[in-house]
Amino acid sequence: MKISKELIEKYHRHECSAEESEAVEGWLFSGESDEALQLPISEDKAQHKAVLWNEIEKVFPQESPAPISTKKDFYKNPFWSGAIAATFVIAILGITGYYLTTVKPTNDMPLVVNNSSSMHVKHVDARAYQISVGTNTSTRINNTTGVIDLSGSLLISPKEDMELIFEGSSEKMIFKAGQTYIILKGENGVDKIIVVNEKNIMDLPPVLQKQIINEFQI
Amino acid sequence: MSFKFNRLQFLLLFFLFCGTACTRKSSEGDTTAKKYSIYILAKDGKEYLLQSKTLDKGLLMPEQEGAELNSQEITRSVIVKNGYYYHLNRKKGTFVKYKLSNRSLIEVGSVPLKDFSIENFYWKGSDTLLLTGLNVPESSQVKYAIVTTAKMGLIAEGNMDIPLPFGRFDNMSVGFVELRNQKLFVGYTYHQQLSASNYTTSDTTYITTLNYPQMTAIKTDKDTRSTYPGGINTIQPYAFNDEQHNYYFMTCPGIALGNRPELPTAIMRIKSGSDIPDENYFFNLSTSATHNHAYGMWYLGNNKVIIRSERKDLFKGLGDHYSTPHFEFYVADLISKTTHKLDLPLDKGTRRQCVLINKDMAYISVNSSTEGNYIWIYHIKTGELKKGLQLAGNTDFIMRIDELTP
Repeated sequence: MKISKELIEKYHRHECSAEESEAVEGWLFSGESDEALQLPISEDKAQHKAVLWNEIEKVFPQESPAPISTKKDFYKNPFWSGAIAATFVIAILGITGYYLTTVKPTNDMPLVVNNSSSMHVKHVDARAYQISVGTNTSTRINNTTGVIDLSGSLLISPKEDMELIFEGSSEKMIFKAGQTYIILKGENGVDKIIVVNEKNIMDLPPVLQKQIINEFQI
Repeated sequence: MSFKFNRLQFLLLFFLFCGTACTRKSSEGDTTAKKYSIYILAKDGKEYLLQSKTLDKGLLMPEQEGAELNSQEITRSVIVKNGYYYHLNRKKGTFVKYKLSNRSLIEVGSVPLKDFSIENFYWKGSDTLLLTGLNVPESSQVKYAIVTTAKMGLIAEGNMDIPLPFGRFDNMSVGFVELRNQKLFVGYTYHQQLSASNYTTSDTTYITTLNYPQMTAIKTDKDTRSTYPGGINTIQPYAFNDEQHNYYFMTCPGIALGNRPELPTAIMRIKSGSDIPDENYFFNLSTSATHNHAYGMWYLGNNKVIIRSERKDLFKGLGDHYSTPHFEFYVADLISKTTHKLDLPLDKGTRRQCVLINKDMAYISVNSSTEGNYIWIYHIKTGELKKGLQLAGNTDFIMRIDELTP
C-alpha cells in the first residue's frame, strides 16, 4: 500500500482501517528506504516519523522513577570498589598475558616467533600445527615450502601429517598428526638438529631430557 | 535305552556347571598367577602395561590384552616390586604406588615428593626404598628420600653431602648408589650445558662415600679412566654385585649418556670389603669386540654379563639413535675381559630394561624391524638362542620387561 500524506493524516485522526494502520506502522518500523511513501516535495519523511513516534510515546506508560539503589553504597564502599578494580586489573593482565604468549598466525604466511624470555615458553596455534617455542628460542617456519629454521628448542604437534625441511638440509622429515615432536638445535649453528618423538623422550641423554621436561613442563 | 533326569540329578548338574564357570572366570581375572610385566609403546603412541604368566611362548597384543596407560600419570621410569608399580609423578609432586587389576592401573598409596627427579633407586630390604635424585629444575643438588612401601610412608628426606657443580659445570647426574656396611657409595659426574642440543661431561668419575643414614660425606674418590658412571636405573640397570659381593658398575661416555665419545665405555668395580674403585681392574668395552660404546649391563652369574652395544655405523645421531635398529647384545666375561656377540636381530630403543635373568635362562626383548617384537630366550650354559613370547598387534617398542616379584 502506498503511504501518502492523506493516509498519515488519517492515521493521526485514528480513522484508518486495520489494513491501513498496519501499512503505516509497517512503514514506521521499516527505516528510510521506502519508495512506497509518496509525499509532496516540501514535506520531510523524517519529520512525519518523528511526529508519529511522539504520539506513540504518549500512549506508552511512563517509566517509574528508579528506586534508590543500595548498590550505589555498595560500589562506593572502598573495599568493594577496590576489589572490583583489582578484578579488572587481573583480567586485563590475564588477557594481555594470553595474547603475549599465544600467537595466532594467518594461514600460509611464514611463521616467525622470537622468544627472548628465559622463563616462559610461547605457544602458537597455527592452521596446520601447534608449536611451543622454548626459552631463548627463535624459529621461522615457511608454511608454503615447509622449510624450518630454528635456534633453540621447540615442540610441534601437527594437526595433519606434514613434512618439514630444516634450513641448510635437503632431507624431508615426516611429522605425523596427533603426535608431538621435540626439536632441538643449538644457537651456534654447529650442533646437529635433534628430532625425537615426545614419547621417546627417555631415550634422550638425561641432561637434555631434564632440560626439556623442566622447560616445557612435560 | 532311555535316560531321564530326575530333579536332584538336574540340580547337581546345574551347580556343577555353575561351579566350573565361576572357577574359570576367577582364574582369568586372577593376576596373582602372573609372573612378568611388559611395558609397551605402540605404533600410535599409546602405552600399555601387560602381565603374563610366561615369557617362553605365545603371543600378546597390547591393544587387546593390555591396560592402556595415561602418560600424564605413569611412564616407563617405573620401579616394579612384589606385584606393585612405583612411579614419581613430578607434576603433582607425589611418589605413587599402583597395582594392575582388570586392565586398569589403580593407585593404592602415595607420599609427597616435591622438587625431586629420581636418578637411582635402591631397595634396603623388601619394604624400604632409598630414592636418590636431584633438585628441580637446577639438577645441581643431590637429594634423597627414604620410603616405606608397604604403607607408603616417608621416613626421611634431605640433601646428600655431595659437592655442587663447580667451575664451568652447571648440572650433574647420579649413576649408581650402593649401600655396604652403613656406608653409601654414590657414583656421579658433572655436566656443562653448551646449547639447547649440546652438552659435555667432566672426564672424571666421582664416588662419594657417605655415612648412612646421616648422609654426611666421609670421602670422595675420583677416577679419570672413564666417565658417567652408571645411569638412571629406573630405565635400565648399569651395576650389580657378584656372588662374592664385588660391586661392578659400567661407565657410559657415549653420546647417549656422557657425550664424551673419545673416552672408553668400561666396566669398573669396587672389590668386596673395599671402599674405593679397584685401580687394578678396568674392562675397556670399546676396544673389545664391540668396537663401540655400550649402555646397560645385566649379570648372568659366574662372571658373565650381557651388555647392549650401539653400532655407530648405523645411526646418524641422537635424532635416530632410538628409532634405528642398531643395538647388538654381547656376553662379556668379567675375568678374561672378552666379549662375544649374540646372534640376535638388531634392536631399537636407546635405553630399555630389556633383559631378565631366571636361573639358566636370560630373557632378552628385541624390537626388530625385520623379525618383529619378541622375547628371545638365551640358555646361559649351552648358548642356545630361540624365540619366546611375541608382542604383536600395535607394538612398536617393548620398553621394559620386569619380574613382578623379583
